[in-house]
Amino acid sequence: MIHEHHPLLGREITLRNTPASLVICAAPDYARFNLRIDPAQLAGASKAFELELPTKIGAISVAGDRVGARLGPDEWYLLAAPSSQEAVERAFADLYPAMPHSLVDVGHREVGIDISGTHVVSVLSSAIAFDVGAMPAGTGCRTIFDRTQIVLLREAVDRFRIMVWRSYAEHVWQLLAAAGREVELDI
Amino acid sequence: MSKYRISAKGRVDQRKPVRFTFNGARYVGFKGDTLASALLANGVHLIGRSFKYHRPRGFLSAGSEEPNALVGTDRGPGRFEPNTRATVLEVFDGLSTTSQNHWPSLKHDIGAVNDALYMLFSAGFYYKTFMWPKSFWNRVYEPFIRGAAGLGKSPTTPDADTYASRFAHCDVLVVGSGPAGLAAALEAGKSGARVILVDEQAEVGGSLLSETDASINGMSGWQWLDEARASLAGMKNVTVLTRTTAIGYYHQNLVGLCQRLTDHLANPPKNAPRERLWKVRARQVVLAQGAIEKPLVFDGNDRPGVMLAGSARSYLNRYGVKVGDRPVIVTSHDSAWLTAFDLAEAGIKVVAIIDIRRLVPSHLVARAEALGIETLAGWTVTGTSGRLRVASVRAKRVSRNGIIGPPRKLACDALLMSGGWTPSVHLFSHTKGKLDWNEDGQMFVPGESTEESRCAGAGNGNFGLVAALAEGAAAGASAATDAGFPAAVTSYKVDGDVQLTGVNNRELPTDRNASKAKAFVDFQNDVTAKDIRLAVREGFKSIEHIKRYTTTGMATDQGKTSNINGLVIASDAVNRPAPSIGLTTFRPPYTPTTFGAFAGYNRGELFEVTRKTPIDGWAEERQAVFEPVSLWRRARYFPRTGETMHAAVARECKAVRESVGMFDASTLGKIEIVGPDAAEFMNRMYTNPWTKLASGRCRYGVLLGEDGFIRDDGVIGRMSSDRFHVTTTTSGAPRVLAMMEDYLQTEWPDLKVWLTSITEQWSVIALQGPNSRKLLEPLVEGIDLSDEAFPHMSVAEGQVCGVPMRLFRMSFTGERGYEVNVPARYGRAVWEKLFEAGQAYSVTPYGTETMHVLRAEKGFIIVGQDTDGTLTPDDAGLGWAIGAAKADFVGKRSLTRPDMLKQDRKQLVGLLTSDPNTVLEEGAQIVLDPNQPLPMKMVGHVTSSYWSAALGRSIALAVVEGGRKREGQTVHIPMPDRTVVARITGTVFYDPENQRLSA
Repeated sequence: MIHEHHPLLGREITLRNTPASLVICAAPDYARFNLRIDPAQLAGASKAFELELPTKIGAISVAGDRVGARLGPDEWYLLAAPSSQEAVERAFADLYPAMPHSLVDVGHREVGIDISGTHVVSVLSSAIAFDVGAMPAGTGCRTIFDRTQIVLLREAVDRFRIMVWRSYAEHVWQLLAAAGREVELDI
Repeated sequence: MSKYRISAKGRVDQRKPVRFTFNGARYVGFKGDTLASALLANGVHLIGRSFKYHRPRGFLSAGSEEPNALVGTDRGPGRFEPNTRATVLEVFDGLSTTSQNHWPSLKHDIGAVNDALYMLFSAGFYYKTFMWPKSFWNRVYEPFIRGAAGLGKSPTTPDADTYASRFAHCDVLVVGSGPAGLAAALEAGKSGARVILVDEQAEVGGSLLSETDASINGMSGWQWLDEARASLAGMKNVTVLTRTTAIGYYHQNLVGLCQRLTDHLANPPKNAPRERLWKVRARQVVLAQGAIEKPLVFDGNDRPGVMLAGSARSYLNRYGVKVGDRPVIVTSHDSAWLTAFDLAEAGIKVVAIIDIRRLVPSHLVARAEALGIETLAGWTVTGTSGRLRVASVRAKRVSRNGIIGPPRKLACDALLMSGGWTPSVHLFSHTKGKLDWNEDGQMFVPGESTEESRCAGAGNGNFGLVAALAEGAAAGASAATDAGFPAAVTSYKVDGDVQLTGVNNRELPTDRNASKAKAFVDFQNDVTAKDIRLAVREGFKSIEHIKRYTTTGMATDQGKTSNINGLVIASDAVNRPAPSIGLTTFRPPYTPTTFGAFAGYNRGELFEVTRKTPIDGWAEERQAVFEPVSLWRRARYFPRTGETMHAAVARECKAVRESVGMFDASTLGKIEIVGPDAAEFMNRMYTNPWTKLASGRCRYGVLLGEDGFIRDDGVIGRMSSDRFHVTTTTSGAPRVLAMMEDYLQTEWPDLKVWLTSITEQWSVIALQGPNSRKLLEPLVEGIDLSDEAFPHMSVAEGQVCGVPMRLFRMSFTGERGYEVNVPARYGRAVWEKLFEAGQAYSVTPYGTETMHVLRAEKGFIIVGQDTDGTLTPDDAGLGWAIGAAKADFVGKRSLTRPDMLKQDRKQLVGLLTSDPNTVLEEGAQIVLDPNQPLPMKMVGHVTSSYWSAALGRSIALAVVEGGRKREGQTVHIPMPDRTVVARITGTVFYDPENQRLSA
């Protein structure tokens, strides 16, 4: 197989000076899809994806290697193991004649950044306008980071994932690094 | 110990000396000092020269309202800052400061001649003095005014500091940490609400830091302060931000805070940001900003040593600094008497208290007499003396009938004045909240709030510690309750609080010629009482006009100490009550704020996003020259060693026409359109018909706005009956997707079709030239590349170099061409493989400049370059792309408006200069007759112009009125040095038969 180039691969920012901790790193690779479907036909999509997709906007469901986040009235963001890529595409192709929808591979469009630690909320608040601290764990949304569109998932109280279009990833990373320095300096 | 420092007094740490310089001289202060308190402790009052008259000036105040004491600070290379207020600048070891606005020195300033020429600089002087002779304006007056204008010197090197920013959300934001703000924060904090308490000073406490008389709940003010601070620190839900100025109050309870992080540190940590701009969204806001003392207006009220009485009290009690050995007090308000008492009790000889009022509360007089202070009630001050420091005060008795008796000259080394207090309503005013006139207090106080906010304490016009604590606690509790955290109100027991009274004044009465008095109202802009009266005499009646004509209140301090005095004098001059003249509007920021704080992280590399394609790194390694295209940076050309742009582009063009070139087209916008109604949606959006486009075929599409003008274009591939792969221009990508979503959601929600941006999913490599197929074919699996199976304008899915591919056969050069789309992470590797395989054909990477030339040779337009938002498809020669049989598409109706059908519309044409070596300038205007009188009628302009290597001459595209009918005619392009002659041609210069597409 031909060589792949990941924008942030191998980069990591780690601060473990007590009491503050902060880890920012490139997320592992996933197959990613943008699913658009009439919410009335969600059951069919859940079956095809082998995951009960969330019915509430902002909610996330997780099972095994599958993650589904509802981002809008007719929009879901799907993650799966890279090896499941073709199986997912096939399952949705089979669903299409009965339940027309749009499943678009956006796996290469985006880069994942994992960010965790005690100061994760204040670091994200350096560039996100809404109340990140009040975002419940297990939810996700599309939002703006500085001047860049991202999808933000809060996986746990102290763990977030940012998904950002690849050409914007460097900007997001550098800004996280700047905010991370403030944690390091306790300033 | 410095001469003016009182040991065992104040809150500065007298065990920790701090060394700093002012104008090169070394001084020692203490940790906790401001530059002002440290200089005063060393007996330095002269701090700068005034703006217009270059008069010697000293410290007027002890806070952020300071109009006079502006200094330059130097923290090392790239860290010079002018106009820092010495009264808020904390000293640290190694701080270097300089005074401003003088030459050659602070003590001997040539500019002080302006003071003697004051009659030239009256209100509106710049409209009057410099009018004649007219010819002097450009050469003499304007350079002079510009040279003299401005305070301090702008930094000449880029700011070496970094800045941070942060969003925050809370239930209750309390602005100001005096007694009212502390009481509010304590109540809200106890309720469990998320509270942010901000104060511009280095420590919380506000007036409690300076006024030490009263006790709270049986504790001294400072003990209670310690306890309050400890309670707040113990609440996890409370954030206290000191050195943080609330600079602006915006819509829906958004408050901007500027936090100074490192300015007070001698050795700030490396890479530490200097300031952080907080954008706080609060459910409820409590404004407890306190009050600002007013100066009195009399001749010579600006000499160094003349200071606000409350500020002298701050210097004494907070910093342990006496501002003089023999002070005189002049006041119309009780509060200055308390300053006199504190000074006397600290062992300082207070010469006299001059009170404008004939009747002063008897307990004050009794206490003054007990302290051995002479009291002169019903007296006025008519002048002062002393060149660089006040030396004496001239006082006169005032009776009902006027000024009587002989003048008294009181020797002094400080004159402490008070004209009463002005509630600080700035933030409330930012919200457009209406101010009410309080007749008793002769002041504006906050009226009904337009935001979820409350005002408390002196900032609300309720003075005194009892009122501050009670109102603060009530505001904090009700704010918390309204934010969803029910809170009760604590009551406080206060002993020793004195109810203060006072009166407002216009200029103090004088027996001297008022037209010669230098009685300052606005110290920073050098505006005197007589300037305001002159403005009224010259016809200005509204305070907004008076402000602009005299510039009172227009300096960087926004008139914090001058607005009410100015208003009272104007009101007297126009003979109307103050509230009917109105108050000028305060605007953010509350105090001067650095540009760095506003920019935050967005400077240098983070100034703006620089988008790079997956192939960008390869181009960078090859020393490509880049150009910005919207947020992207794109390789413009690939120069070989020593090659000019002209030579590189000519070489790249030749390679494409003769063999094969490769081009990174990844930045093109891409949208995947999926659903049973995809073709119907395409029909409605684009001008072209799509229904009959077969799967596996492409078509060039034109997108219009409702107005019928070209918005975007691109080649669109039909992947299957229900799936289109749309390409857009690079910069149009987000706009086009947003426009499509808008129509889909608002006009056609019934259509079953969905849109997804795939711009960054795919890396796009364009292979163009007669050898492109030969290069590509061996690496492709799953697609028959023969011309029969895969003719021009085809699309198919297959594999290249073993990875998935969407292959388009299309051409933006006129040559046989392919666009290889591979998933983005493979882009660079596939590019390298193709480059390697292409060596057999001398494959040449080319950039955007070559792409522009090649497409211009074929007459292909670039939207945004050859179109400007006013061209219809017909204007651009794209009438053929309109599906005339279609019922409708976006912009269709506009295309038949009479204006759109006019014969003399600007139309896209080709231009060939009569001299083939002349390359026209893009944007140059075109005329028909070069000999017509000026101004000539311009009939169009050049939109694209290049040297064409293939044709061995220059070519250009232009828009010309009725251009197509003028084909063959000569036009003229006047340039600064000559007029270029050109002939109008068709737009296709190269291979008009399109034979090369399959060559």
